[in-house]
Amino acid sequence: MSENGFNRRDFLKTLGWGGTAVALSGCGNTSIEDGAEFVTSYSEPADYVIPSIGVYYNSTCAQCDAGCNITGRVREGRVIKLEGNAASAINHGKTCGLGQAGVQAHYNPDRVTQPKLNGQTVTWEQALAAISEKLAGASGAEVAFLTGGVSGHVRALLDNYLAALGSREHFVYEAVSPAVERAVNTKMYGTAMPRYRIDKARAVVSFGADFLGAWVSPVNFSQQYAKFRKGNRPEGRGVLVQIEPKMTLTGANADRWIAIRPGTEGILALGLINALGAAGVAVPGDAAAAAKDYTTERVSAETGVSADQIGRLATLLKERTPSLVLAGSAAEGYANGSQNAEAIALLNRALGNVGATIETSASTPFPQLAPRVGNRAALTALNDGLAAGKYKVVFTCGTNPVYSAPASLKFADNYAKAGFKVALAQYLDETAQAADLVLPLDSAMEAWATSVPEYMGGEGNYTQLSVTQPLMERLYADTRSTGDILLALLKQRSPDEYSGFEDFYAYLRSALLANKTALGGAGEADDDVFWNVTLSQAIIPLQGVVSKSAPQSAAPALSAPAAADASYPLRLIPSVSASIRDGRHANEPWLQESPDPLTTIVWDSWVEIHPKKAAELGIVEGDIVDVTSKSGTIQTQAYIFPGIHPDAVSMPLGYGHTAMGRYAKGTGANVYSILDAVYDKDTGELALNETSVKISKTDKRVIIVKEEGPAGGSQVNRAKIAVKVSADKVDLSKEV
Amino acid sequence: MSVSNLLENWSKYRHTHPLDDGGHADWNAYPSPIKWAMSIDLDACTGCNACSVACYAENNLPVVGKDKYAHGQAMHWMRIERYWGEPEKAIDEFDSAMNFQLVAQNFDVDQGAQFLPMLCQQCEAAPCETVCPVGATNHTEDGLNSQIYNRCIGSRYCSANCPYKVRYFNWYSYPDQEHAWPEPLNQQLNPDLTVRTKGVMEKCTFCKQRTYTARNDAKTEGREIRDEDVQTACQQACPTGAISFGNLFNPESTVAKQWSAQQVDLVKEKQDKDGTPDNKLRGYRILEELRPFPSIMYLERVRESAV
Amino acid sequence: MHRFLRLTILLAGMFVATGSHAAGQPFTGTEDQLGPEVPQPIEFPHNRHAGKGEVIDSGAQDPTQKYVGMEINCMYCHTYARRSMVSGIPPLRKCIGCHQSIESVREAPRIKKLFEYWEGTDGKDAQKPVPWLKVHDLPDFVRFNHERHIQRFYFQQGKVTQDEAGGNDGIREVCSYCHGDIAAKNATVARRQKPITMGWCANCHQKDHAVDATGTETARGPNDCFTCHK
Repeated sequence: MSENGFNRRDFLKTLGWGGTAVALSGCGNTSIEDGAEFVTSYSEPADYVIPSIGVYYNSTCAQCDAGCNITGRVREGRVIKLEGNAASAINHGKTCGLGQAGVQAHYNPDRVTQPKLNGQTVTWEQALAAISEKLAGASGAEVAFLTGGVSGHVRALLDNYLAALGSREHFVYEAVSPAVERAVNTKMYGTAMPRYRIDKARAVVSFGADFLGAWVSPVNFSQQYAKFRKGNRPEGRGVLVQIEPKMTLTGANADRWIAIRPGTEGILALGLINALGAAGVAVPGDAAAAAKDYTTERVSAETGVSADQIGRLATLLKERTPSLVLAGSAAEGYANGSQNAEAIALLNRALGNVGATIETSASTPFPQLAPRVGNRAALTALNDGLAAGKYKVVFTCGTNPVYSAPASLKFADNYAKAGFKVALAQYLDETAQAADLVLPLDSAMEAWATSVPEYMGGEGNYTQLSVTQPLMERLYADTRSTGDILLALLKQRSPDEYSGFEDFYAYLRSALLANKTALGGAGEADDDVFWNVTLSQAIIPLQGVVSKSAPQSAAPALSAPAAADASYPLRLIPSVSASIRDGRHANEPWLQESPDPLTTIVWDSWVEIHPKKAAELGIVEGDIVDVTSKSGTIQTQAYIFPGIHPDAVSMPLGYGHTAMGRYAKGTGANVYSILDAVYDKDTGELALNETSVKISKTDKRVIIVKEEGPAGGSQVNRAKIAVKVSADKVDLSKEV
Repeated sequence: MSVSNLLENWSKYRHTHPLDDGGHADWNAYPSPIKWAMSIDLDACTGCNACSVACYAENNLPVVGKDKYAHGQAMHWMRIERYWGEPEKAIDEFDSAMNFQLVAQNFDVDQGAQFLPMLCQQCEAAPCETVCPVGATNHTEDGLNSQIYNRCIGSRYCSANCPYKVRYFNWYSYPDQEHAWPEPLNQQLNPDLTVRTKGVMEKCTFCKQRTYTARNDAKTEGREIRDEDVQTACQQACPTGAISFGNLFNPESTVAKQWSAQQVDLVKEKQDKDGTPDNKLRGYRILEELRPFPSIMYLERVRESAV
Repeated sequence: MHRFLRLTILLAGMFVATGSHAAGQPFTGTEDQLGPEVPQPIEFPHNRHAGKGEVIDSGAQDPTQKYVGMEINCMYCHTYARRSMVSGIPPLRKCIGCHQSIESVREAPRIKKLFEYWEGTDGKDAQKPVPWLKVHDLPDFVRFNHERHIQRFYFQQGKVTQDEAGGNDGIREVCSYCHGDIAAKNATVARRQKPITMGWCANCHQKDHAVDATGTETARGPNDCFTCHK
């Protein structure tokens, strides 16, 4: 079993038989019939390709924006398993369940396999000609590009294409985005995505940052968390407190989980600064001034957190330094979300954590490859343009706004007004279905690309360029990578510059070789040697550029959260699950069948209601309820869940697709469709948690399909199964 | 195994107590004996399900779909059980009604939830083995509880007798079911192990195909198995490194060190340390008192109570 | 009590087992049992490649009529046998590697066919792998490991030293335990020679085999179900 440098093209060429014609072993064939199956037969394989032994190729995971480095196990030309790349500074050889399911995005039975123009299968020549024709009648300002987060050479090509079109209309939209975090971090720490050192902290207080589940770079944080929990760490075992209205996976792992009144996180943070000051901690002047009115009594009354608990939190933070305070989407998803996050950042500054557990990270030395990240404001801007009929040609890629835009934006209607809609898509999802032209994309296991992760692990100014390379031959001859498509489009506009590149692979190779020295390949005399090393590692380590802006000292003016509307008494907290995320993975069956860690529900969405609230409403588990907001109504099953604030209910995002594929379509209800269009006042990001709802029972009831038994995970009267022990009862110092 | 072989070696493959029967048979071709064992640190486990999905990927587990899941037919060899803190009120108050809502209202969520990865415990004196009418499940020389699919006749006695409920039955021929492996999802299947047919029992094998390869390579190179030779799929994926796996008979292996540091002895049904009131160790085995001598040691979850 | 129960269960199990044994008559002997003839895309002559270099007509003009075989080591072509589960079919490149410099048989029909796979027809489909058919098919729940057996019986028992001195008698003997003498004088296309049933496998696993070249110490094969069943 080897990892090797090699010539990729030859490798791919040899796999004709391996990839397709070899009868699949392991498919339940129990008959013995000599002469009925084919033997794995090659024409000219590389030395290291040995039938029955897996070959490992490194690449980059495309399942979420964390960009973990992975290793794919390839048997007889088929990729069958993904593992983490042990050399990675992001995930150190580990993967999450979502990453494991990457193979199901690749082998998905519902992929788009051929270009389709108005529903009719066309050739690539016809598809490209159609684009060319439509672009001919459009000025630069009339062409818009909507993408998810992009980085690396795909981003560089995209920029070049937009420049060639004379268009500045590039909108980057992520349905669930840390946009508030970036803005507030820049303001308060001087860097948008600092390196969080959970592993160095002695206490972590997280305001709704689900860093073990779906927040920023979960596999990296999970490993830091494992170190943080070790008793034999020099800093000693760390303590985690999670403050959030709906228990996330991280909350489920906390030493103390505190249900706070939704939207009052900033108040508690200022209250803690005040309490710390009172306890004798030297709090900087601006922080002390901002917090002076937030007495424990007032904070307790406004947040619903007991004065006693606030006192214990202050003691914890005072005694355990360095600590780390995190703000996640549960604190940021409000009209005053930025203010909450700023108050929380101020707490970090008051504790002296900035520089200790919040390190300034380095950005890539190639700014043209840096990640271009997005937010909801971009979608709103595009939506306004579409509504005004401004665009003649709209491209969408790696994002599904028809599904994930709040219904109140009426995005689908506005999108229909665009003259010619081109969707680059792997599935025929809601957006692709509404497009005029669908261009089939390669899976991440077939495509060439590079990427720069937005959140980078490692130490100091380390950063890297991650390489995505094909782990096997294309499953379908007519799919193309985003890079290939952009290159083909660029050839239409600037043939002189780009006709020399046969495909995106050729472009990428030449672009990387041109910067060989800067990419650390100075010692490699031979281009092929450099290239082989690059591909075998799929990580190019780089010295990043540290640029830190001066943090603002402005004390946040904290406005009070909106009062509850009497007709919609409950706060809806949409949750982002670690597997389905914003909905783009809903068609991967392993993820649908993988139980939600907390409710253990599979194959459906649900609404979590606190037992007391449920009793008040007369709702029991399995009741089908209407969840009604100002923007609409959806129906789902009720799940009685103790880990939620009694005045809040929660539903998972990502379900309720009306298209996309057999596993996603019709599974659960789409929470996006009832979200009110309320935005964070400072950043314009959609305030995910600002939707209030009412719950009304219908006359239907179902038995919820879930993993837990009827006792709801009670160990009552049973022997010791899952055992928990108080920290003072164990000695962790001598553990292996 | 031929019938005569099965007869000859019957008692060898049917432990009632690992000590009575003299422990493992040795396969004399080995440099030294192997006993695969695991330890799972519940303090590090976050319940994220990565292990479970990795197991689906490695072991050709079928996706059964919502209806079959509702019938308890999910095939997750590795599953995460979720438990809440017990209410402080007397349990009796709830027991009469068995009213879940009442229980749920009183679950203690102040310290989050508890997660328990549950998989076949590869018992040394496995309750499943003694009840199989055809000897389809028996003990291997490296201490696994094997399941021979083509010998299995589907009586499901083993599942009924398993205290951990980690055996899964193929109620359907999954390759023919729409949800499992529609073309081309079947191309992902791992050729190192079979897809089980309808009517047979299956369960976690400690990634037999991986231990086999590791043993095979070690033999070819004429050396002992080392820790780095083999990782199970769940262990390799686990983002917090909560799972350790290796040869318990090799004192240098992580697993052996962990077991001995926690004073957990494979062939004891009650550990000595459990009798000492001031023991500050957190290793335990689930349902040890039933005498199955499980091969997985769990480490208790630790939580700070003063915050 | 436990022992008694186990005996009852065992007897019940035996009843089932012997019943099926009588009905199915699985083969447990050691004698040959020829498999079906498998029509391969090219009628590959194993005897010409691996057969003994016995003289047919040393004065013959046509070199193919001079000797029976070339005494090539089986693992020259089935190169994966010592390091993989499967022995493998040689890639087309390997066939061509030799045959492009063997002018004397270049025009033979089988070789012409071989070059068609390599060069393609009308400039198309060049380097197309030959679609060889599987001659020894095992059910998917069985794991047979060539590497283990070759390491054990060829390398450990020292037959490799014998072949290093010249010829291929050692490897032919080892391979023939399961494949029969595929390179015998009259053999051409591979055909299953042995029953390859579980009883047949177990038969050999129950015998004592020398562990090294001296033959003083012996060992049996594993009889653990899980070793071969997957």
